[in-house]
Amino acid sequence: MQPLLKVQALNKSFCTRAGVFKRKHAQVLTDISFCVGQGETLAIIGETGSGKSTLARVLAGADHADKGQILLNGETIEDDGIRCDECRHIRLIFQDPTRSLNPGLTIGDMLDDCLSLNTELTQQQRDKKIKHTLTRVGLLTEHYEYYPHMFSGGQLQRVALARALILDPKVVVLDEALSSLDPSVRAQTVNLLLELQRESGLSYVLITHHLSLVKHMSDQLLVLNKGKVAEYGNTLAIFAEPKSRVMQRLLNV
Amino acid sequence: MQLLDIRNLTIELHTESGVIRAVDRINLSLKEGEVHALVGESGSGKSLIAKAIVGVLNKRWRVTADRMHWQGVDLMRLSPEKRRKVVSRDMAMIYQEPSRSLDPTAKIYEQVAESLPDSSFKNSFFARGSERKNKVKALLHKVGIRDDKKVASSYPHELSEGVCQKVMIAMAIARSPKLLIADEPTTALESIAKAQIFRLLKSLNQLKNMSVLMISHELEEITDWSHAMHVLYCGQMVEAGPTAKVFSTPCHPYTQALVKSLPDYAQGLAHKEPFYALKGTIPPLQHLPIGCRLGPRCPQAQKQCVVTPTQSKVHSHTYACHFPLVKEKPKCNRS
Amino acid sequence: MAKFSLFSEESNRSPLSRLWRKFKSNHPALVGLWVFVALTLLAFTAPFIAPYGINQQHGDALLLPPSWHELGDVRFILGTDDLGRDVLSRLMNGATFTFGLSIVAALVTTLIGVVLGTFAGISKGFRSSLLNHLLDITLSIPSLLLAIIIIAVLGPGLLNTVWAIIFALLPQHIHSVRNLVVEELNKDYISAFRLDGASKWQILTRGVLPNIYEHIVVIFTMALSTAILDIAALGFLKLGAQPPTTEWGAILAENLSLIYLAPWTVGLPGVLLFIAVLSTNLVGDGLRQVLKGRKVD
Repeated sequence: MQPLLKVQALNKSFCTRAGVFKRKHAQVLTDISFCVGQGETLAIIGETGSGKSTLARVLAGADHADKGQILLNGETIEDDGIRCDECRHIRLIFQDPTRSLNPGLTIGDMLDDCLSLNTELTQQQRDKKIKHTLTRVGLLTEHYEYYPHMFSGGQLQRVALARALILDPKVVVLDEALSSLDPSVRAQTVNLLLELQRESGLSYVLITHHLSLVKHMSDQLLVLNKGKVAEYGNTLAIFAEPKSRVMQRLLNV
Repeated sequence: MQLLDIRNLTIELHTESGVIRAVDRINLSLKEGEVHALVGESGSGKSLIAKAIVGVLNKRWRVTADRMHWQGVDLMRLSPEKRRKVVSRDMAMIYQEPSRSLDPTAKIYEQVAESLPDSSFKNSFFARGSERKNKVKALLHKVGIRDDKKVASSYPHELSEGVCQKVMIAMAIARSPKLLIADEPTTALESIAKAQIFRLLKSLNQLKNMSVLMISHELEEITDWSHAMHVLYCGQMVEAGPTAKVFSTPCHPYTQALVKSLPDYAQGLAHKEPFYALKGTIPPLQHLPIGCRLGPRCPQAQKQCVVTPTQSKVHSHTYACHFPLVKEKPKCNRS
Repeated sequence: MAKFSLFSEESNRSPLSRLWRKFKSNHPALVGLWVFVALTLLAFTAPFIAPYGINQQHGDALLLPPSWHELGDVRFILGTDDLGRDVLSRLMNGATFTFGLSIVAALVTTLIGVVLGTFAGISKGFRSSLLNHLLDITLSIPSLLLAIIIIAVLGPGLLNTVWAIIFALLPQHIHSVRNLVVEELNKDYISAFRLDGASKWQILTRGVLPNIYEHIVVIFTMALSTAILDIAALGFLKLGAQPPTTEWGAILAENLSLIYLAPWTVGLPGVLLFIAVLSTNLVGDGLRQVLKGRKVD
C-alpha cells in the first residue's frame, strides 16, 4: 500500500550572521526520511535542539526545506524547497494555543477566514461546516461568537484543533500541542484525537517529549538526534529494545 | 516534630463582582525530612498556597488561617519584618521558569555569591574573596554542575534551562533551609534534565534532611519519592494522605480520575484505547459551584453534594467526599 | 445544564468593549475624555457660537477685566483686550486653530505613519534597513527644532506650521508603527494565519491591524499633545500663526506686553493650552494603562 505521507531526504540549514560579512551555516535537519500511512500516528521525539520543531514547521509549510521531497498520496508537494500545495492537506497545531489564535477575532470569524481562503463554499455552507466542526471537536455551536480570551487552555486547544480540521486535512502535525495541558484535560484531548482518527482515518505526526503518551498513541517512532534520524521503526519494538544511545538515555531516566 | 502546620488556610480575592475564595480551608502539616506533594490542575490554587506560606502574596489577596505554625511559631501573628526573617532563614523557593527568575544582567557567580549569608563566613572581611569563591564552587558542585568555572562566569541566557534550575537550587540551599518549596520546578525542562533535578532534590532530602514541598500538576513525576500527597481541585483539598495509599486506593472521584488519566498507571489499557477522563472543564474562578466544587463534573454526584463535604480521616488518609469510592470505617474523628 | 451561562455577561464581550469597561473605571482618564470631546466640539462650532466676532472692537470697553471682577462687565464674560476685543470669543475661536489644526495634523501624521510604518514593517532586507537608518537619523533631531527648520524653508504662516509639524512628527510615528507591526508579525497566530493561506494583505488587515489599532490611538494622542504644544510654541515665536489670527500661542505673544496691566489676556490662553494638553495626555495615559493591564491578564 502506498503511504499517505512520504518524506525523502529532507535537509534544512539556517544561516546566521557571524560577523560583518561572514555567515555561519547551521545544519538543522540532515537526510530525514519517513513514511506515514493513513490512520497512523508517527511520533517524533528528541532532545531540545534536535530539530523537532523545525521538522514540524517544514512539514506544515511554515518553513521551507533546502533539499528533499515531501510526497502526499504519491504527489510531490514540496520539492527542494518549492512548495506547490494549495489545498492544505497538512495542518499544524502549535504548542501554545493562547498565542496561536488571533485575540481580535471571534472563533467563528477565524474559522470562516480559513474556509473562505481555501474553498469556494457559500456563506451558508461555510456556517454549516463551522458548526459541524465545532461539535466534532466537542465544543458548542454557541462558541461561534466567542473570543479566544473566554476559553480555558484545554478548550483553546480544541479550537485550534477545529481550525486544523475544518479544511479536512489528511495529516495533522501536533507540535508539543499536548504538553502544556493539565493531565485530565490532556486525557480528554487524547481521547478526542484518537476518536477522530478512528472515525475519519486521520494521520498524526506527534511531536512531544512525553514518553508514555508516545507509547500509548503512536504506531511508529522516529528518534531525532542533532538533526539526524537516530532510530526509526515500530514504537513498541523500539520501546522494548532501543538500539540508539539517545533512545536508551531517554528511556533510562 | 511538626515543621509546618497549617489549619484552615483560606485565601480570598476581593473583586468588583464579590469575594472569590480561591483557596478554601486547606490543612497541611509537614514533618522534618518529609517530601510532600501538592497536586492539582491549573486554577487549583497550589501556587497561591506556596506564596501564602512564604508571605509574598500581594495586597489584593486576603489570607486567613486558624493556624499557620512554623516550628511552633505562628507566622500569621508575627510582624512582617520578623516573619521575613524567619522565612529567609528557614525556607527557600524555586520557581517554574528558572531563566526568568535569574537576573539576566549579572553573572551566575555574582548571583550565587549574593545568596550566601554573611554569617557563613569564617575569615575576616579582607580574606573573604577566596572563601566566597570556594563556597560558590562547592555549592555548584553540590547541585551537580561539574563545569563550575564556565557556568559561574556565564550569564543566564547562555545556559540551558536545566542548568539554570540547578543554579536556582544552589542559591536556594546556600542558607541550608529546612524547607524547600518547589513550584513546578520542571515544567520548562525536557525529560533528561527533569530527571536530574528530581534526583538532586531527592538526594538533598535524604542527605541533608531537608523537607521539600513539591508543587506539580504531573502526578507521575512525584509518585516514587514523595511521602505524602495532597490533591487539590479548584481550591478545595479533595484528598490527602501517604502517596502509595492515595494511589492504590483513591477515595475521591477526582483523584481516581487523575490516576486513571496517566498512561503508565492505567494498566490494562490497550494501545490507542481512550483514557478515563471526567467530562467538562475546570470552572473559572468567578463561577465556582457551591458545595463540592467537583459536583457538576462528578460521575457519582448526588443531591447532598451541594453541601461542602467535611473531611473524613481514616488513619492518615483524609478525603472530602460524601460518597467515597472506598468505604472504610470512619472513626468519627473529623477535623 | 445550560453551558452558555458558564460565562458571565462581562467577559462575554469583544476586546473593544472590554477596553471601554476598563477605561471607564479610570476616572481621571474619563474626565480627560469629556474635556477632550468638549474641546473638539468647540473647535468645530466656535465661529457660530462665539458671542462676538474675533476682530469686533468695542471702543467703550478697553481692557475690561473678567465679569466676576468688580470693574467687569457682564457683556464680556472673560473681559476684553487693549483693542476692546472680547477675550472669550477670541479664545473660543482659538480652539479651532490650536486644537482643531492639531487634530488635523495628528490625523494626517497617523495616516501617513501607519501606511509607511506597515510598509517598513513588512519589508525585509535592504529596503527595510535603508528606511530604518533614514528614520534613525531624523529621530535624532528634536521635533520642535525640525519644525522650525522646515518653517525656515517654507516661510512662516499657519498652514506651513501644520505641514512642518506633520513632517516633524512623522519619523517617530513611522518608527513606533513599524515596531508594533514587526512585533505582531512574529506572533504565532500570524504564522497560523499564513498557513491558512492568507495573503500578505489579508494578514495585515485581518491579523495585524485589528490587534494594534488601540496602540495606534495611544500614539495618536501622544502626537496630538506634541502638535498642540508645537503649534502654540511656533505661534508664540511668531513663526506660526500671525496676529490677528486667534491661535492661543499667538494671543499669548500678542498680549505679553499687557501682562501687568491685564493678566487675564495672557493667563487664560495659557490655562486653555494647559487643559488641552492635560486632557489629551490623560486620555492617552488611561488607554495605555488599560492596554498594559490587558497584557498582564
